[in-house]
Amino acid sequence: MYVYLYDDFLKQKKHDSTIKAMETRLTDFGIAGKIIRLQNFTNAKIVIDEELRRGISGVIIVGNDRTFGHVLSRAATCNVLFGFLPVGSDNVIANILGIPVDEESCEVLAKRRKIKLDVGWFNNRYFVSQLHIPASKIAVEYDEKFKVSAKNQMELVVCNLQPFDWRGQKIRNRKAIHPQDGKLEAFLRPVNKKLWREVYEEPSIFPFEEMIVSSKSPFVVEADGMSSKETKIKIKLARKRVEMIVGKERKF
Amino acid sequence: MFQKPIASHEEEKKSVHDDVETVVGPSVNVEGDFASEGNIVVKGSVSGSVKTSKLLTVEKGAKIIANVNAGNAVVSGSIKGNIRVNERLELSETAQVAGDVACKILSVAPGALIHGKVVMKGIEVSIPNKENKSSLVKNKPKLAVKVVS
Repeated sequence: MYVYLYDDFLKQKKHDSTIKAMETRLTDFGIAGKIIRLQNFTNAKIVIDEELRRGISGVIIVGNDRTFGHVLSRAATCNVLFGFLPVGSDNVIANILGIPVDEESCEVLAKRRKIKLDVGWFNNRYFVSQLHIPASKIAVEYDEKFKVSAKNQMELVVCNLQPFDWRGQKIRNRKAIHPQDGKLEAFLRPVNKKLWREVYEEPSIFPFEEMIVSSKSPFVVEADGMSSKETKIKIKLARKRVEMIVGKERKF
Repeated sequence: MFQKPIASHEEEKKSVHDDVETVVGPSVNVEGDFASEGNIVVKGSVSGSVKTSKLLTVEKGAKIIANVNAGNAVVSGSIKGNIRVNERLELSETAQVAGDVACKILSVAPGALIHGKVVMKGIEVSIPNKENKSSLVKNKPKLAVKVVS
């Protein structure tokens, strides 16, 4: 049996008809299950662990990219099959996983095409799509082998699922990010300050398994829609950590 | 008749996976043992060592102060250190190399600068050693003049 984790924003009236249609579809497919509504401060891992003791076979995240990140940042360690039913806007991850938004996503879930995905890990939590450090004075060390530095501040984006698109990038140069290649991709962009505006340079790209980012002053770290301030972080790859139901039209 | 198309989805995925590329941006400095399993493009500066089994591209303006080991290489910037390339090494007109070069195929554009020893695999002409060299000098054939009456 599946457990469905609904995001809090799905209470809004505008989503009522979509949710009803989805629930009917799930019942038709014979995969309807228990519904749990997530609050902002709910630790998804505790909820899933308790449901696992009751013998569930899968956890389905219902919401958008933020919901996906919120659940998997803590629950990636749970040994259970995950699914995703994207609803409304802000659904980039669903597109990469090949899952259509709203009602049609139920069909992908029913087909049960399973794959194992790599996830990133930093300072005791997981990220699935992307980690972002806005421009700051940081030093980066890769795989304990080489150091990367620049004269000015640098922006760092670590991608696992979601590719990094920057302004001025040629379409043919868009890099496909593969969440099963055993590597995370880091994009580093030094920033030059010219009069009143900031000019971002062409990014450096480094595939890696382990990376240490440090700074003398605290810097902001945003991962899957959640942000915190750190002075030193260790980013690691957790190979094939999450088992997920994906669509045929996935981008990797 | 009912066979699957030859270019399968899996093959497409594999080709994307093979194109993994490491790029060192124009104002970025890399220090240490810089190794990659995929292609490397250097636009900034690297010091330490550089190693890849695939293609290394050193763009114009890039600076490498390191020993380089690559499968193939295209150099338009400057390298201070020994270069060992398994297959083809291409030096464009803006390339500057200060160090020994070892490769299988070498292409040098007019204007490229090399200061060092060039060693290439596959040579069949016997290279005389020191002893033979000296004997060759000693036994220089004298000019013979034949007078025909």
